[in-house]
Amino acid sequence: MLLTFIVRRVLWTVPFLIAVSLVSFALIQAPPGDYLTSFAATLAASGDEVDQGRLEALRQRYGLDQPFLVQYWRWISGVLQGDFGISFEWQQPVSNLIWERMGLSVCLALGTLLFTWAVAFPVGIFSAVRKYSIGDYIATTFGFIGLATPNFLIALVLMYIGVVYFGADVSGLFSEEYQNAAWSWGKLLDLLAHLWIPVIILGTSSSASLIRIMRANLLDELHKPYVVTARAKGLSEFTLLMRYPVRLALNPFVSTIGWAFPQLISGAVITAFVLSLPTAGPLLLQALLAQDMYLAGAFILLLCSLTVIGMLVSDILLALIDPRVRYQ
Amino acid sequence: MTPRRSLLSLSMGCALALGLVAPGAAQNAHEAPALAQRVARGELPPLAERIGSQPEVITPLDRVGEYGGRLRFGLRGSSDHNHILRVVGPQGLVRWDPQYTRIVPNVARAYDVSDDARVFTFHLRRGMRWSDGTPFTADDVMFNMEDVVLAGALAPTPPRYKAGGQNVQVEKVDDFTVRFTFAEPYGDFLAELASPLGQHPVLYAKHYCSQFLPKYNPNVADLVRAANAADWQNLFMARCGDIEIPSRWGNPDRPTLDPWVVREPYVGGATRVVMTRNPYFWQVDTAGNQLPYIDELFAPIAQDVQSLVLEAIGGRIDFQIRHLDAPSNRPVLAQNRDRGSFRFIEAASVGGTNMVINLNLTHRDPEWRRLFNTRDFRVALSLGIDRKAVIETALLGEGEPWQNGPFENHPNFHRRLATQYLDYNPAEANRLLDALGLRRGPDGIRLLPSGKPLRFKVDVIPTLQPEQVDMLQLISQQWRRIGVAMDVNPLERTFFYQRTSEGNEHDAAVWGGQASWVPGEIPQQIVPVHHDSRWGIPWVQWYRSGGTQGEEPPASVRERMRLYDQARATVDADARRALMSRVADIAADEFEVFSVSKSLPTYGIASTQLVNVPPSMPSSWYYPTPAPTLPQTWFWATPQRRR
Repeated sequence: MLLTFIVRRVLWTVPFLIAVSLVSFALIQAPPGDYLTSFAATLAASGDEVDQGRLEALRQRYGLDQPFLVQYWRWISGVLQGDFGISFEWQQPVSNLIWERMGLSVCLALGTLLFTWAVAFPVGIFSAVRKYSIGDYIATTFGFIGLATPNFLIALVLMYIGVVYFGADVSGLFSEEYQNAAWSWGKLLDLLAHLWIPVIILGTSSSASLIRIMRANLLDELHKPYVVTARAKGLSEFTLLMRYPVRLALNPFVSTIGWAFPQLISGAVITAFVLSLPTAGPLLLQALLAQDMYLAGAFILLLCSLTVIGMLVSDILLALIDPRVRYQ
Repeated sequence: MTPRRSLLSLSMGCALALGLVAPGAAQNAHEAPALAQRVARGELPPLAERIGSQPEVITPLDRVGEYGGRLRFGLRGSSDHNHILRVVGPQGLVRWDPQYTRIVPNVARAYDVSDDARVFTFHLRRGMRWSDGTPFTADDVMFNMEDVVLAGALAPTPPRYKAGGQNVQVEKVDDFTVRFTFAEPYGDFLAELASPLGQHPVLYAKHYCSQFLPKYNPNVADLVRAANAADWQNLFMARCGDIEIPSRWGNPDRPTLDPWVVREPYVGGATRVVMTRNPYFWQVDTAGNQLPYIDELFAPIAQDVQSLVLEAIGGRIDFQIRHLDAPSNRPVLAQNRDRGSFRFIEAASVGGTNMVINLNLTHRDPEWRRLFNTRDFRVALSLGIDRKAVIETALLGEGEPWQNGPFENHPNFHRRLATQYLDYNPAEANRLLDALGLRRGPDGIRLLPSGKPLRFKVDVIPTLQPEQVDMLQLISQQWRRIGVAMDVNPLERTFFYQRTSEGNEHDAAVWGGQASWVPGEIPQQIVPVHHDSRWGIPWVQWYRSGGTQGEEPPASVRERMRLYDQARATVDADARRALMSRVADIAADEFEVFSVSKSLPTYGIASTQLVNVPPSMPSSWYYPTPAPTLPQTWFWATPQRRR
């Protein structure tokens, strides 16, 4: 049952990914101009001068003067053979650039996910069970502030306070001496010492929204007859809560795992940008702004694949947790 | 500022004079302690062998410095490679002096120019070496010119190495002398070499970069495969870079002639760039100390300009002009001067204006083209601008009404071009427009002969200089009073480029019009020869393609193109100036473009502890700021910073 469901879903991802690659390549190409126009424009913005003859020569070498479908075919046929092409801007193979930053992105996304759950799960349950208590009001207030404030703004404010009042730099993920050093215990500890700031910044709004969802879902369940029945049968309040209503209310936690995967790349691009985090997001944004097609295309393809995988994983988990789900 | 400047030029003048008579300096030279240790350990040859017998002797601006420390400046994550170039400096055969008025030898020890300005002979420094210790000789220049530039190996040969339509001929006279011969006189050649894009003759080290050329390495395909590169051109670019692409700073193994060499490269995933002193750098100070004084350049990469501002406030930036110089950053920087322990330095405008309005004289619609080509119409628009009000409101009072071209204190100053039709005179403007038969419609907006309202768009990039949009909005209101409707059309910069310089689809556009018309600089607002001459893009194409593309321009423009070419061929400064002045005469007669205000100086910050940084420097790409002020002579006043 479950197996056929999984096989069917996996098979469907193939045509889906092909369609996605075509659409994303078209989207990257959609803005006017190409990599070289944007290169010239960026340089001009700083008062630098560009050699037009050189640009034309590069345009031909990169095949940017070719029709759209020809360019797409060049790209996708390379990708199928595992060659993601060359980044125009950096003259490096795209694959090198991508994997370099993915590790830290995974770290950050996992940290954020754990933080979000660690906060949202107990607080959500608490504020549902003790509805309209002082604690609920405090949690709700913080929740709404967290939801309403853009992450990057919190980041900027924290950075300003850090610099102006503490003389400390809160941006980046490593201290200076570890930035380009090889991995060691020292570097790991250094990473953990820096990681909590972006994790909190990135985690606030998602925890806030999960708290609200958890609270609302649980409130729906708490007064259902099966809860009353269970209580009448003499189950302790804690066991009762955990075994039945919370299990149902968990649904949103599990279905958001699917979103967590693409978050590895696109999550909080602007926050990472502001905090100068060496994660994948800012590189993707740069590639899009510069119209560095192959780099951006590879990221987006990866993003879509991760979304597909993530949705698959959360569907399977949901099926395991929630007996109401059917494999149709 | 003027007396200080002249003093400065005096001391620098001495430096240059000394630079030309270098011999003997190498005997009692000194070096950085770290290098002396490496020599003692036998890892490096002694200093005298590293700098050869003819190093350039530099007189520091204030005083002879001491070794040590790091210089920090902020980079942005994308397309900021030219920032590194500006600090490290384009180490070409020649360079500009700190005042941006004279060309002085650089990598070349000296040069001779023939009387007819066709033959340029460069004398190289004996014993000079690349940063890996390999001798630098005439063979390197020959490799760069013959195998790369003239062979068109990576790109077509740039026009700067051509005269009279023919490529320059380069020959090796001996190991330390090369001769460049042009088919026709080419007086601007030295200035072209002094600009950043003129570094090609000495950019690549033959012993390293030749391995990526099929001509020298028949097995280059193996290298390409091993490096996972697309082809040998890609591999060459990735390993050896080009003048202004990021990968120039992406390969620590590439030998250079720069004062600092890459240790932690500028690559896609980088969070910082670190460059360390080149042990073979070929300049010494007057006391015989090898330059640079400062051990390393340290450039953290911030994605966002606001984080750069924060870094500056936090005292983590030692020198920076780029990205920080927006007027909006100035108050917060001024407020935090003490906390960040920095001072302001002036980035002086070379002349001209910050916003020049280009009506498209080659408009695709014949009706608009006819109107824009009517001189009285342009005069009326100029008279319809209340420049004082615009300066008061949009520029916070900082500015002075100005049309175009160099300032009064510059030898190239042209009074009529700079100051005609500056006064606000709506009555006269209305009279001119009435006389053109442009009747007013019911809403007060004048009508074109076809009956369409006189309404056009001015394209602008709002992120480049935000005040341009404010200025245009005020001008739009003022023009409404003379019956002209103008809409401000803010565009993303790539789109702007495509719509104007590539597509010629615009009605009008604005651009920065800084200009002093010195050799090497392109006078794009008085003669349409550059893609920033948005008043006649098809004419630019005609000029650049030698008449095969674009549109043939009218006689007055053709005459200016001819004079400009002649000026470029002329060596004698006065004769060249006279020719440029004739170009300006015609431009003043035609009055094709107009502006609002003189361009203002911007500013940068420099740490209060940093010595030998001039309080003011010209701000220009052709110069390029701050390289000719020689950052390799900057040093730290306090021992703490020298660690």
